[in-house]
Amino acid sequence: MNKGLISGLVLLTIGLVCGLLLAVVNYFTAPKIAEEENKIKYAALAEFYALENYDLSEVQGNGAFGTIYILKEKGTDTILSLVYTVAASGYSSSTDVQMLIAVNNDLSVEGYKVVNHQESTGFGADIVDNDFKVSEILDLSNFDSVAGVTVTSNAIKQCFTLVSQRVESDFGGGLGE
Amino acid sequence: MNKRDNFLKGIIKENPLFVALLGLCPSLAVTTSLENAIGMTLAVFFVLVLSNFIISLIMSNKKLSELVKPVRIPVYIVVIATLVTIVEMVMNAYVIDLYRSLGVFIPLIVVNCIILGRAEAFASENKPVDSLIDGAGMALGYGFAIMLISVFREFLGKGTLTIWGNLQLNLVFVFDFLKIQPIAMFVQPVGAFLSFGLILAAITAIANNHKNKLAKEVTNNG
Repeated sequence: MNKGLISGLVLLTIGLVCGLLLAVVNYFTAPKIAEEENKIKYAALAEFYALENYDLSEVQGNGAFGTIYILKEKGTDTILSLVYTVAASGYSSSTDVQMLIAVNNDLSVEGYKVVNHQESTGFGADIVDNDFKVSEILDLSNFDSVAGVTVTSNAIKQCFTLVSQRVESDFGGGLGE
Repeated sequence: MNKRDNFLKGIIKENPLFVALLGLCPSLAVTTSLENAIGMTLAVFFVLVLSNFIISLIMSNKKLSELVKPVRIPVYIVVIATLVTIVEMVMNAYVIDLYRSLGVFIPLIVVNCIILGRAEAFASENKPVDSLIDGAGMALGYGFAIMLISVFREFLGKGTLTIWGNLQLNLVFVFDFLKIQPIAMFVQPVGAFLSFGLILAAITAIANNHKNKLAKEVTNNG
């Protein structure tokens, strides 16, 4: 047989053996890698909920909305909570104030967190970087303002308003999964 | 060459970084912290030792080596790439922070000339056990070199020494006097070249000194 052909076959065999070996390693590491990646992805969500108690899925929102995370009761189709990624324009013209707002299915707010912003240092930034208190939010409709800042407060108010406008229909199945 | 010399030559006499000046790009890039250097050393150690051993196994079989010879470089690359991919997957699964900070330089181990160089220059012509020892020596020599550079750079550039900056086990030494005003240049690319140049100059000076002394001794005795 042609010598070059045999060399090629040897290379092919070595390649196959190596590929098989990689498949075995991948079989063991792939679930662990997926788990680690989810951990990083959902690190912000984990501040509001113990994620292992829920079935987690996500849909991509449009307009001001980024990813919307859906937390369902394990094994059922009941939506227990929704976590919105929502942005609104604050003092900074280039970067919107981006928030996570977690709402339970009785429309109470579980928590909120500013995840990205570029408000002015000493004013808005001081407020959004710390755990600011939104004046008594029992439900989304009576959100008033963040004391101490005007323009930044408007952005945060806008975020809450946007969520409040759609949250009821979302819990009623409006997400169209 | 006995086994001890074979092992030690990689660390001092034929150090891949300071003497052979091989694999500089990833070495300069990952040495921003000691932790990165340790991670890179472990990865290179695993890949170099096993690739040397496997390639030597293939090439020391007379019949097989004749068939492999025309396609030996692709065979080396396949073997090395497999080992690197294994390292990459394991690191991604178990030490994800380190995996992220080493970034593209883990997959680039495939084309690191230290590993390909040892495969072609040593493993293909020597017995498996000797190749294994050679790989271990070279990997440790490489590790010693990048750790030295990273200690220099992290100490001056950040005022810290990070052995393992994980949340569960935080082994970070902070040097207060440098922490206040670290020389940030040293953790940037320009600092990499400067540090490497300075360390290389110091090592060459020591080596030359040593050589001169040896030469003098020979003339005195002779």
